[in-house]
Amino acid sequence: MKIRTPREKRILYIKNILRWIITYAVIFICFLIMTSGTWLKPVLLVPAAVAVALANGQLSSAFTGAVCGYLIDIAGDKVIGTNAVILTVFSVVISLLYEYYLRNKFVNYMIITAVVSYVVLWLDYKFYYEMWEYEYVERIFAQTSMKVWAYTIVSAVVIYFIFELINHYLMPKNHVTIEEAVSTAVQTGRH
Amino acid sequence: MHDFLKSAKFKVLLCFLAFIVGILIYSVTKGGYSLSGVSLFNTVSKPFRTASNKIGIVMEESLDKFFNSDEYYEENKRLKEEIGELNRQLTEYESLKAEVEELRELVSIKQEHEDFEYTEKCDVIGYVTNDPFMSFTIDKGSAEGVKPDCPVVTAEGLVGIIVEVSDHMSTVRTILSPDLSVAAVNSRSNKDMGIVEGDIPSAEKGQSRLIHINKDNKFKKGDLVITSGTSGLFPKDYSIGKILSISPDSNGISDCAVIEPCADISRLSSVYVITDFTGKRAEEEDEN
Repeated sequence: MKIRTPREKRILYIKNILRWIITYAVIFICFLIMTSGTWLKPVLLVPAAVAVALANGQLSSAFTGAVCGYLIDIAGDKVIGTNAVILTVFSVVISLLYEYYLRNKFVNYMIITAVVSYVVLWLDYKFYYEMWEYEYVERIFAQTSMKVWAYTIVSAVVIYFIFELINHYLMPKNHVTIEEAVSTAVQTGRH
Repeated sequence: MHDFLKSAKFKVLLCFLAFIVGILIYSVTKGGYSLSGVSLFNTVSKPFRTASNKIGIVMEESLDKFFNSDEYYEENKRLKEEIGELNRQLTEYESLKAEVEELRELVSIKQEHEDFEYTEKCDVIGYVTNDPFMSFTIDKGSAEGVKPDCPVVTAEGLVGIIVEVSDHMSTVRTILSPDLSVAAVNSRSNKDMGIVEGDIPSAEKGQSRLIHINKDNKFKKGDLVITSGTSGLFPKDYSIGKILSISPDSNGISDCAVIEPCADISRLSSVYVITDFTGKRAEEEDEN
C-alpha cells in the first residue's frame, strides 16, 4: 500500500465523499425516471444497486441496496420494505461474490443484473398479482413483467457505464504503479 | 468467506437486515397511512417528481410521434376522408349538441349534489410505476383532509378511491383495478344493477367491467352506468362509464358488460377528492 501525504489523504477523502454524493444523485434520478410518465419503465434501481455492490464493501452495499429497495417500493406503491429486504440480501451476496470469486467484468454484471431483476419482478408478480388469483393473471407476467425485465437489462448497460465512470474518476485505488512503489520505498528509506 | 461469517461485519449486517424486516412488518400494520419516513421523503421529493413527470410526459409524446409517424400519417389520411363525411352530418348535429350541452350543465354533478365536500383541485403527480391498473399519486394528502377510502372523481365521472395517504401526497386505486368494486346502476332504468370491477384484459384497453348483472336486464350499448351509493363508500348517482358491449358471464347465471370509463384514466392531469357526502359510511363502522 502506498504511503500518502496528508494532502493526498485529504483529496482522497473529498473524492470519496463526492463519489457517494454522485452515486446517490444517480440513484435519485433513476427513481425520478421510474416515477415519470405513463409508459412501462425499467426498474433502474436494480442495476444501480448491483453496480454499487460490485465495487464496494458489504456494509455500504447493504445500505445502498436497502435505499434502492425502499425507492422501488415507493415508486411502485408496494409494502414498504419488500424490495428493501430483497435488494439488501442480494447486494451483500453480490459484494461477497465480487470480493472472493468474480472479476469486475461487464458480462458478469449483466448476468447478475438479469438474475436479480428477474427475481425482483417474479416476486412482485407472485405476491401482488398471481397470489390474488385475478383472471388472466398470466398476461401481467407476459405483457408487463417480462417487458419491464427486458427494458431493465437494456438500460443496465447505461447504468453500468455511468457507475464505471464514477468509480474510474473517484474510487480510491488500492494498487500502486511501479513508479509509486519506488517513490514509496524512497520515502520509507527501503533501498 | 468463512472468515466473513465469523466477522463483526456479518453480525452488523444481520442486525441491519432484522431492522429492515422490522420496518416491513410495521409498514403492513399502518392501514392506509404511509410511514412517517416515507411521508417525509414524499414531501421532499414531490417537486422533483412533479417536474420529472412533466418532462417524462413531453418526452413520451415526442417519442410516440417519432416512432409512430407512419401510423399517424395513414391515420391522418383516413381521418381527412372521415372529416368530409362528418362535416355533412355536422349541421344536423349542431342543434342536438347545443341541447346536450344544456342538459349536461343542468345535471352537472355539483349542482345536483350540493352535499358533496371536495378538496381543492388535486394535480396528478405521476402514475404508479408499471402498474397495469393505472394507479396514480396526487399532490394532496392528510394535511388537506384526504383520508383512505375517499372517492376520487373528475367532472366527467368516478375515477377511483384513495388507498394510501401521506401528509401531502396520496395514492389512488382506479376503477380499472380488480381490487376495487363499485355498486352501480343503469342511469336510464335505475333498476338494472351490477358491480363495476376491473380485470386484466379490460384494463389493458383502459376499460372496466360491469359484472353480476341480472339476465333480464335492459342494458343497451351506450347506456350510462352510475354509482348506486348502497355501499356508503361512493356518493349516489355519480357517472362511472358507458356500456360498450354486453354478454353472458362465464358463470352462466348473470351477464357481464364492458364499460368505458367517463374519465380517461390513462391521461389524467387533475382530479377532485370527495371528502364527505350524504350517505357516507361512518368511519367507526369501517373500523368495526
